Amino acid sequence: MSLPDSSRLLEDVRVALAEVMGDDILLAVEITRDTRFDDDLALESIEFVALGEYLREKYGDRVDFAAFIAGMELDEIMSLTVGRLVDYIAETLVAV
Amino acid sequence: MSRFLFVVPPLTGHINPAAAVARELISRGHRVAWAGRAETLRPLVGVDAEVYEAGDPALDAVLARSRDRWLGLRGAGALKFLWEEFLVPLADASRPGVETAVDTFRPDVLVADQQAIAGALVAERRGLTWATSATTSGEFTDPYAAMPKVEDWIRERMAKLCRDAGVPESDLRFSGHLVLAFTSAALIGAADRFPGHYAFVGPALNARPDRIDFPWPELDQEKRRVLVSLGTVNGDAGTRFFATVAAAAEPLGIQLIVAAPDGVIPDPPPHVLVRPYLPQLELLPHVDAVVCHAGHNTVCEALAHGLPLVVAPIRDDQPVIAGQVVAAGAGVRVRFARSGVDELRAALHTVLTDSAHRAAALRVRSSFTAAGGAPAAADRLEKLC
Repeated sequence: MSLPDSSRLLEDVRVALAEVMGDDILLAVEITRDTRFDDDLALESIEFVALGEYLREKYGDRVDFAAFIAGMELDEIMSLTVGRLVDYIAETLVAV
Repeated sequence: MSRFLFVVPPLTGHINPAAAVARELISRGHRVAWAGRAETLRPLVGVDAEVYEAGDPALDAVLARSRDRWLGLRGAGALKFLWEEFLVPLADASRPGVETAVDTFRPDVLVADQQAIAGALVAERRGLTWATSATTSGEFTDPYAAMPKVEDWIRERMAKLCRDAGVPESDLRFSGHLVLAFTSAALIGAADRFPGHYAFVGPALNARPDRIDFPWPELDQEKRRVLVSLGTVNGDAGTRFFATVAAAAEPLGIQLIVAAPDGVIPDPPPHVLVRPYLPQLELLPHVDAVVCHAGHNTVCEALAHGLPLVVAPIRDDQPVIAGQVVAAGAGVRVRFARSGVDELRAALHTVLTDSAHRAAALRVRSSFTAAGGAPAAADRLEKLC
């Protein structure tokens, strides 16, 4: 696999969020690296689970969203951004 | 005859189940007293009840002011708010009043609501036998298993409360003597995985005085009827949700009976009956299903009437309880902030026409009845004396 391109991964995450939350989210929120899962997207717990499943199907078991969250402090979870998820996916894919 | 002191937060949904248990204890000749905010307690436990003031009116004012912020919170943010701005300050503010209540009333057993942590602290400090009253089972199934550092954070908050009160550190959410859970195995899942001092007694609903006016003749006997309640109205998202449910229900020939403040549903269409408050327990025998935010009390009240649910969890324990409803087969989960008309219409249609959901709701009802309710809770409390 070629090195992941951060802007392509951001686009992937946008598609993942539209898949999980419905296409309307792309109209309602301009999803950038700074977009927060809690404040800006108000992602529901069931959508977090679905997002994890979607990412695993797309990238394989290495992208383990549950483990990514499990390592976080309460404040980190509250302020989790799309950019941080993009970086995590990039790091995971590079590490192979 | 024994003496029971109930320590409760200023929250109606937490006081009502305790009040049902207290009435049962009184009918058996025991003495009951309360520690909490008298203003909230009095209308629920009666003017003759023995009430010790615990808490702080100033804290009520702070909470009232931060309410709008709370309504915007979900998930981790709501959890942090709950502990930092409600549970811990309430415990600190209530502890002196609970100590006074113990000195004066001299209870044989203290019953502490899971959110009235001052009760647990004072009981531990005084070496009293105490029980946890858990009005939701949201904390029972390790909800933070996927976020171990969040559980650590909660434990740090409890450890500090213990140190400040001069008691050994422990999990103040669960008494080591008795944990009363107002649910049953059919909803929470295999109850036998919990220790023997966990008592799953089912909902304690009996004899709650509602005293709310309702236009009974306006119930449409020609239609299937669905009760809609979100507990607290949740800002713009709540307004959107109500409008979506109303649009979803219309072509299905359903009458909606909705609890919502004035103005939230402007110009309600003919199939929507809106009142600021509903006499929920009296209405449930007259409806076919319930749409709610998966608050534990409303879920259990619906299931106690064998009614299937559409659940739209918002925050706190609600996603956990919604998961229990779905796992029990008694309802359909939708997304509070994003479900569209089609998704809600499908959910309503499913719970009203699919006999499996109705059957599962009836199975939970039987399990609740078998669990025994307030009398079973009173039995377990008597055994502590």
